[in-house]
Amino acid sequence: MTRMSITGKDGALQPHPSPPMNDTETFWGLLKKFRVPIMMVSPAAIFTVIMILFPILYSAYLSLVKWTPGSEDAPFVGLANYIRMFQDPTFWLALGITLKLFLVCLFFETIIGIYLGILLSREVPGQKIFQALILLPSIIASVAIGMMWILIYDPTLGVANYFLKSFGLKQLVWLADPDMVLAAIAIIDIWEWSPFMALIITGGMRALPTDPFEAAVIDGASRWQIFKYVTLPLLRPVIMVAILLRSVDLIRFFDTIYIMTKGGPNDASTTLNVYSYLQGFSYMDMSYGSAIMLFLLALVMLFSLIISALRRKAVS
Amino acid sequence: MNHCKKWTAWIICLAVTVGAFAFAGCGQSNQPAQTKKDVTINLLAQNHPWTNAIQPFIPDFEKQTGIKVNMQILTEQQTRDKSLMTLQAKSPDIDVWMSLKSFEGLAYYKAGFYEPLDKYLNDPKLTPKEYNVADFMKGPFTGEKIDNKLVGIPIIVEGPVVFYRKDVFQQYNISVPKNMDELLEAAKTIQEKSNGEIYGMATRGLPQAIPYTFGAFLHNMGLEWMDASGKPNFDKPEAIKAIDMYATLTSKYGPPGVVNNTFYQSSALFAQGKAAMEYESSNELSTITNPQNSRVVGKIGVFSLPPGPGGNHPTVLQWGVSISAFSKNKEAAWEFIRWATSPEMQRKLAEKGIASPRSSVWDNAEFKKTLEEPVKQEWAAALRIVMDNGNPEVGPPVTKQAEARKMIGTAIDKVILGTATAQEAASEIQQKLLEVLK
Repeated sequence: MTRMSITGKDGALQPHPSPPMNDTETFWGLLKKFRVPIMMVSPAAIFTVIMILFPILYSAYLSLVKWTPGSEDAPFVGLANYIRMFQDPTFWLALGITLKLFLVCLFFETIIGIYLGILLSREVPGQKIFQALILLPSIIASVAIGMMWILIYDPTLGVANYFLKSFGLKQLVWLADPDMVLAAIAIIDIWEWSPFMALIITGGMRALPTDPFEAAVIDGASRWQIFKYVTLPLLRPVIMVAILLRSVDLIRFFDTIYIMTKGGPNDASTTLNVYSYLQGFSYMDMSYGSAIMLFLLALVMLFSLIISALRRKAVS
Repeated sequence: MNHCKKWTAWIICLAVTVGAFAFAGCGQSNQPAQTKKDVTINLLAQNHPWTNAIQPFIPDFEKQTGIKVNMQILTEQQTRDKSLMTLQAKSPDIDVWMSLKSFEGLAYYKAGFYEPLDKYLNDPKLTPKEYNVADFMKGPFTGEKIDNKLVGIPIIVEGPVVFYRKDVFQQYNISVPKNMDELLEAAKTIQEKSNGEIYGMATRGLPQAIPYTFGAFLHNMGLEWMDASGKPNFDKPEAIKAIDMYATLTSKYGPPGVVNNTFYQSSALFAQGKAAMEYESSNELSTITNPQNSRVVGKIGVFSLPPGPGGNHPTVLQWGVSISAFSKNKEAAWEFIRWATSPEMQRKLAEKGIASPRSSVWDNAEFKKTLEEPVKQEWAAALRIVMDNGNPEVGPPVTKQAEARKMIGTAIDKVILGTATAQEAASEIQQKLLEVLK
């Protein structure tokens, strides 16, 4: 967001040479001087303030008071919500689950994404059609995906167990087993989002220069060596972008879980986002929910900073 | 200067438009009540048998009164989220909504979301005599009162009953259970004799949903959720027995993955012939007797949960429709509620399987005619037991209703999953309920 507004400002500033000093001293003078840049920037700026800045500040305020929807007063409680958060075993459980899902999904999505991405970048007949088809899971609304997989995973009537049974394997209860539920959800996420990673990586592959590959072939490198020493290093910035986009989504994992298990069984699929939702909307404790949400925001920012730093390193 | 002129022009334009709207508004409110053209009320309803049953009649209402009904149908939790957000913002976007008093009633009442309805009911201009308030059964009607103020009108009564497969019972030579032990025995027999092909009992395992079905187990052991002094009752041996029974029934003689199940999954299992009994809300009758998605039509019987050592106290709950305190069309909203809950309308809905909170409906000859099928007769009889003996407390009577229910459900699920004993679950509930009460 910031980057967008700055470029807008810079671009619009140039045609205006600086006017005499006395005009810029008053507020109205300034307003007049930067009229065009302000007009250019204001839609984005107003949007940011209303839709992003205000909600964050309001959550920060909520997390410092005790407010339940419906009550008129909201007494200031200081950091009590945060202290409660760090003493809450369910919070730590949810943090662990969030990180676990994040790591597992990201790992598999990256590997499958790179594999599919490279495959998709080959010019073969029907490649365009296939590329469109594998994107389907990422296009379908997550809620619909959740509903669909509830049916697939149904222990008695679902198709997943039907397959296990026809192969003579042990049938599973999938979403109802606390030890199994995270794996079941991870499978859905990997199925849903690997094609998206693949698409970004295909784009990156297409943009790569051909010379290094030709040079490698001339030098007699094997396919594996080309992949390891040429393709991967060249792709690294693109992979980092794909990872960054997925990480942000994965840390705030919510929709499919909300639809499928509501965080159960036995809190085994309660991610931080689900827990915050439960606190805020089901238990009507908006303040505690806000505190958890802000923690989640900090976590997302931390991860995106780390990954951005890694990306910059990869580019240079 | 030029700018100034432009601005003035804009302001004048705006003022004229606003003025025009204001005049239009005045004109509307001055018109007599009969020609309420252009009044639209927003009805927030959830995906529920009542909603499905009343929907086809709404055009009649619109034709009769000229009031347009804008219906929004969401799932139960989404309805709750939406109503909470809208009402919290004091927005007039909701005029009438379906509200479950046993769940959010206390919290919403304290927040001032409900428009008290007594004055509408007592005004002969707004409510003609034919409406016959006295006809509402006492249980559901008082259930719509909080602090002795009427905040809603009941639209449907429901309670969990046991649907069972008559053919399977006959095949394994089982008779209708007369007490809780026989119920467990019946489930066991079916599960064992069918080699697990048919589950003994399908009922709720989803934490938030458990108290509705588990409550009757507790009450039939002779316990309320709390004792007379307001202390939770989960330190009593009867509570442990109730948890143990519920967990045994669901884990040993129920479908795998029961901890995620609620009425939706249970009815699917029953309708597909995978479960011999379904202990669910009386509303599910329409789902499982619908030939389009049920394979067991014509083989279904109904009985009310059998009594335990503490008697027979099934859970009973009523759904109601309420008017938002922030509605701008309260009289039109009341007109809708009056129409939807009128004796005539309630009878029409009852014929579609909506259990009416009006006693006259149950005695109505035309309605009785629709009960000719044995399954409907048994259903009506079981529901009658629910209405006569029912305990209206679906969960412990606390403001933090959702939290308390989820917590009870989670503890019971631990027993179902085998990670805790009934004893441990009971003491966990006892301790956490005390915290919630603080």
